[in-house]
Order: sequence, then structure tokens, then C-alpha cells
Amino acid sequence: MKNLTITIFIILIVVILGLYLASFQVRETESALVTRFGEPVRVYIDDPGLKFKWPRPIERLYKFDSRMRVLEANLGETTTKGAVPIIVNTYVVWKIADPLQFFNANERGSVTEAKRKLLSQISNTQNTVIGQHYFSEFVNSDPSKIIFEEIEGEMLDDLNTKQNVKEKYGIEIKTVGIKQLKISEDVSKAVFARMIADRERKTKETIAEGNAEATTITTDANSMRTELLAAAEARAKAIQAEGDAQAAKFYKLLEEDPGLAIFLQYIESLKKILEKNTVIVLSTDAYPLSILKDIPVIVPRDPNKEKK
Amino acid sequence: MCPEIPTKKRNNLIQVTTFIAMTEQNKETNNEIRNTEIDNQLDAAGKSLSDALRISFFILKIFMIVLVIFFLASGFTVVRPDEKALVLRFGKIQGAGDERLLGPGLQWVYPYPIDRIVRIPVEKNVNLAINSFWYFESDQELESTTKRKVPPSEPLYPTRDGYCLTRSERQRAAIRGVDGSDYNIVHSKWQLTYQIVDPESFFKNVHVEDIEPGQDYFKVITKSINPLLKAVFDDAVVTAMVHYTIDEALEDKKDTIRNHVWKLMQQKLAYQLDSGIEVVSVQLNDMDPPRQVDPAFQRVISASNEKEESVSKAETEAANILNEAAGSIARQLHAALHDETMSEEEKELLWSHAAGAAQAKIAEARAYATKVVESAEANAEYLHKVLPEYRKWPELFIQTIHRETVVEVYDKAEEKVMVQPTEGPGGRREIRYKISGK
Repeated sequence: MKNLTITIFIILIVVILGLYLASFQVRETESALVTRFGEPVRVYIDDPGLKFKWPRPIERLYKFDSRMRVLEANLGETTTKGAVPIIVNTYVVWKIADPLQFFNANERGSVTEAKRKLLSQISNTQNTVIGQHYFSEFVNSDPSKIIFEEIEGEMLDDLNTKQNVKEKYGIEIKTVGIKQLKISEDVSKAVFARMIADRERKTKETIAEGNAEATTITTDANSMRTELLAAAEARAKAIQAEGDAQAAKFYKLLEEDPGLAIFLQYIESLKKILEKNTVIVLSTDAYPLSILKDIPVIVPRDPNKEKK
Repeated sequence: MCPEIPTKKRNNLIQVTTFIAMTEQNKETNNEIRNTEIDNQLDAAGKSLSDALRISFFILKIFMIVLVIFFLASGFTVVRPDEKALVLRFGKIQGAGDERLLGPGLQWVYPYPIDRIVRIPVEKNVNLAINSFWYFESDQELESTTKRKVPPSEPLYPTRDGYCLTRSERQRAAIRGVDGSDYNIVHSKWQLTYQIVDPESFFKNVHVEDIEPGQDYFKVITKSINPLLKAVFDDAVVTAMVHYTIDEALEDKKDTIRNHVWKLMQQKLAYQLDSGIEVVSVQLNDMDPPRQVDPAFQRVISASNEKEESVSKAETEAANILNEAAGSIARQLHAALHDETMSEEEKELLWSHAAGAAQAKIAEARAYATKVVESAEANAEYLHKVLPEYRKWPELFIQTIHRETVVEVYDKAEEKVMVQPTEGPGGRREIRYKISGK
């Protein structure tokens, strides 16, 4: 009984040890390569789980992290089509896509080596692609002419298709982008000068606009006033005319004796005209001062005549 | 033969037995008795080898059981409320569909090396400040509260100072007749908030440093993915900013720009990279023109203020003018003049509310009309009244009126001068007497 237990125990240990030596796990985040005496024999891509191999030194296992990583190129000056110098900082998101290629191309799968190669590849691509585009395609006063994203797409295309980094290095580029778009120091000074000039113009424009607007407002108000007063004048005239028309009705009544009416009107006018500040020069010949000179001849009327 | 059990091992044994004693209470007494027995036997001479072996095996057995218990217990993991967990069996994610993700709580999986549990923080917002588009500031400058004045002759150093290029205004370029590649420089400070929404995609696709024992896995994750997020974010900002002018960036299009950046980022993270990371929000903390050109920008601001001032002054003046012309309803009245759909009654009503010069004119006209009518009426009445009288004695009537008038006029005159013309040898002479006035 005791011996059996011990035997089972020992067998178990041997099996576990054997499994440990002969098996390996490939995680979801990894790809793996198995070499037999240095020759690659099996590749595991997108194939996670428990795998087996002959123990070392017959077969050897190389695992690669297949997740995405970022790699940034250094800030570098390049020129666009039309020889405008710009300074860009390009980055890529890459992953190991083909373990075998990666293993062969990068000194038995050295990530450091791969990065070094990729960096020089990026700088090539960056210079080539940017060199094919005018600066006005990066920044343009007409937004529809800006093809910034397309240029980034071209860079991605260049790396994956033209340069075929997958075949060359076992790498897949997921995305390429420009992190910084800059200009040289001297150009920045020129831009400042232009910006200042731009602002000066804007300052002047703003003040002129303000003045123009103010003038428009007051002019509008004045013309409105003119219009309003004209309209009021018209209404006033209409009211006066109506008054005159009404008065005219009464003039009809005067027709009963126009002579008297006109006389009365003269009298009325006279009174009004001579109402104030009048200096009157009187001739002693004229009535009523003539009385001062001569007594008028008055003959009493025969009252009987009256009673006739 | 006296098999000496090393002190260290003995201590271990005692610990182990004590442990077992604690878990298996039934055996407690037995164990204690045996312990004493061991001591006794060690002390005693001529104890048998088989006894020792038996005890060793027994102890080993217990040791193994404890190991197994520990081993199985190592399969327990606590998943915290803001986490989700994936189970890897021999490296492969277990389960299908929603079952692939374990929710919060105490979870048990087969212990290493069969299963491994990977916890991933979800629904945890992480902030990331982005200052890569801001100008370089020395420590001294950072401490001071006022901005350093920088002359336009000091350039921006591409390796040190961060900034974005913005496009220039469209009509401006047209005036100059250039190819439209004019641009401006603007500085900005941002903050990004993100969270992991798809733990599986995140785990499978995004490189995270290995978590060393004792490290906070959340910090390790954050630190690992920051370079990726920074790169994608910077890219989005550079790409978005070239679509806007500096005035749009500084004034009214900030929200549009934020959205633009957010969209570009989200597009890259979700569709291009399938990273399982979602951008919750993009905040724009600062947007400034370069310090080199700041005074010029300030001048524009003060010019706008000036403009506003002169406009509001003009508006006040206009209001005064209109008020003087027709009172508070001047504008309404003016509109009514040109409004053909308005009925006469409505217009009349409006006019009745008019004030100012217009109203004065109308009032004057009214007064005139009233007076004209009244005097005409009065004259007519007067004539009508005196007519019978006049018809009776026309001459006397006329003379009376005439005389009365003359008297009245003379009476009211301020000065009266009498003139007596005389005929003399020298021709006509006049003698004047002044009669003093009132």
C-alpha cells in the first residue's frame, strides 16, 4: 500500500516534469516560433493555448509579444514639394505580425534591432511621402485643400505596401501619424512678423468698422427722423387743409353781404396789425384831428323828419 | 543511531502541526500527544529508526496536504467593482460571448499554470494632461504669476517649444494672391479623459508592461498606454488645428475643435487600432497666441472694445434723435410708414402716441385748424348778428365801427406824432408835436 502510493507519487512527478519540459503556453497576446536545432519549424500566430515541443536542446521556443506598441521617430527636418522646410515628428503604432520574419530579420527576434530598422524606414517613408506634397496641402486657407489625413494614410500605405515591412521585418504598421508639425526658428520669426502685420490690419479694420457702423446708425436715425418729420408735416398739412375746408363752410355764410364781410375783415386785420409797438404820425388835416382845427358843420336833423 | 532533526525543520514541523491542529480540531489532542512523544523519544535513548521514518512520512503527508490547499486557494482572486477579469486557460481566453468576462466579486479559477486571471480596470476614468503644444517655460517663469514679455525677435525652438499651425483666413489669402499656405501659430493646453471599455480588445491588442510583484497593476497599465494615447492625441490635435483659423481657435470655435479632436482620436483608437480604449472627453484648457505677438492681439481686443463703445455711443445718439423726432415709438412709426399691410386705424393709433417734433408739428396744425375754423365761425356769426342792424343804418353802422377802430388803434399806440402841414414861402413845412405815450 505504501509502496503503491510512493510509486504513483513518483510517476506523477515525472509526468509533470516531463510536461513542464515538453509543453508551453502561447497567450492571447503572443505569437511563438519553435526552432529545431536552430532551424525554424513551427509558427503560432493567433493561436493561443497549450502547445508541445521537444525539450531543449532539440527544440527551442521563441515567444513574441504581438500587441501594439508605439514607436516615435525623432523630430526631424524634411522638405515638402516646392522645397519648403518643415519639422515633423512621426510616430507609428506597430506590432509583430510574422514571428518567423521578425526572427530572421532582426537578429533572432531582437526588438531593439527591429526598432532601429523601423526608425530608419519611417524616416525614409516620411521624407518620401512629404516630399511628394506641397506645403499648401498641409495647411491651407481653403480647408478643402488640406489633405493632412490623406498624407498620413499615404505614409501608412508606403510602409505596409510599398516597403512591405511585414515581409521585410515581420512587422505590421497599424497607424502612422504626425505628432508635431513645426517650422524652423527663422521661419517662426517671419510668421510672427506676418501675424503682427495681420493684427495691425485687423486693428485698423475693427476701428474703421466701428466708425462706419456708428455713422450708419446715426445716419439711419437721421434719415428716419427726416422721413418721420416729413410724414408728420404731411399729416399737419392735411389737418390744416381740413381746417381750412371747414372754415370755408362758414365763409359761405358771409356771402349774405360780402361787402360788409370784407370791411369787417379789414377792420379786424387793422386792429391786429397795429396792436403793439406802434408809432402813429397824425396829420392835423386828417380825421379825427381835423376837429382840432375846424369845428365840423353839424346840422341837427329835424326829429320830425325822423318820425315820418 | 540518533537521527537528529534539525532545529529549523523541527520548528517548521511544529508550525505545520499547529496549523493542522487549528484546522482539524478532532486530531488536536492526538497531535499534541505525539509531539510530546517525539520530544520524549528524542530524549530517550535507543529509539527505533522505523519510528522516525513513520513520523517523517506522516509529517511530509501533512505538508503535502497543506501545499495542495495553498495551491488550490491560490486560484481565488477578488475582482473589484470597477474591474472586469479575463480567464486564460493555458494562455487562451476562456468562455464565449459575455461569459468571457468575469464581473466583480470573489472568483475562483484553476491555479497556475492551468488558468490565469487577468484583471482589467474598466469604467475608471483616467485623466491625461497634454502640454506638448505649449511653449517652454523655465521654472522661474512657471513660478511667476505674470507672463514673461517676449519680443518678436525671439524665435520658437522646434525642439523645445510646442505649438500648432492654423490656417489663415480665406479672403485674406485671396487678397494677397498667394497659394493659400499662409498660416499662424497657436499654443494650446489640453486634457484627455479616457477609459477602457472593451477589456478583451484592450488585453489582446495593447502592449502593457509586465506587472512586477508589488507594483500597482493599474499604475503600470496607465503608464504603459500613455505614450500611445499621447501620440494619437497629438496627432489628432495637429490634424484638427490646421482646419481652423487662429481667430476661430481663440474665439468661437473652441467646442468645434474639441469635437474634431475627439472624433479623430476615437476613430483611430476604436476603428484603426481596436484598442478597447474610449475617449470620454477632450478638454481644452488653454489656447493662446504666441507671447511674441501678444501685444498685437491685445491691440485688436482694445480696438474691438473701442468699436463697441463707438457703436453704443452712436446707438444712444440715434435713440436721442429718434426720440426727439417722434418719441419712444419712433422706430415703430417709421416701420409703419413702409408697412403697406397695416391698416389706417392702426397707423392712426400709432400717430396718436407720437411725441417730439412730429407731434409738435401736428399739434400746431391742429391748433391752426381749430383757430381757423373758430374764427371763421365767429366772423360768420358776428356778421349774421349785425346784419339786420347794418341793413337798417348802413352808413352809421360803418362809421361807428370805423371810429371805434380808430380810437382803439390810437389808444394802443405807443407814440403819437402830430403833424401840421403849412404852406409857406419856402414851400411846404411841417410842424411836429410829440404826444407822450402811455
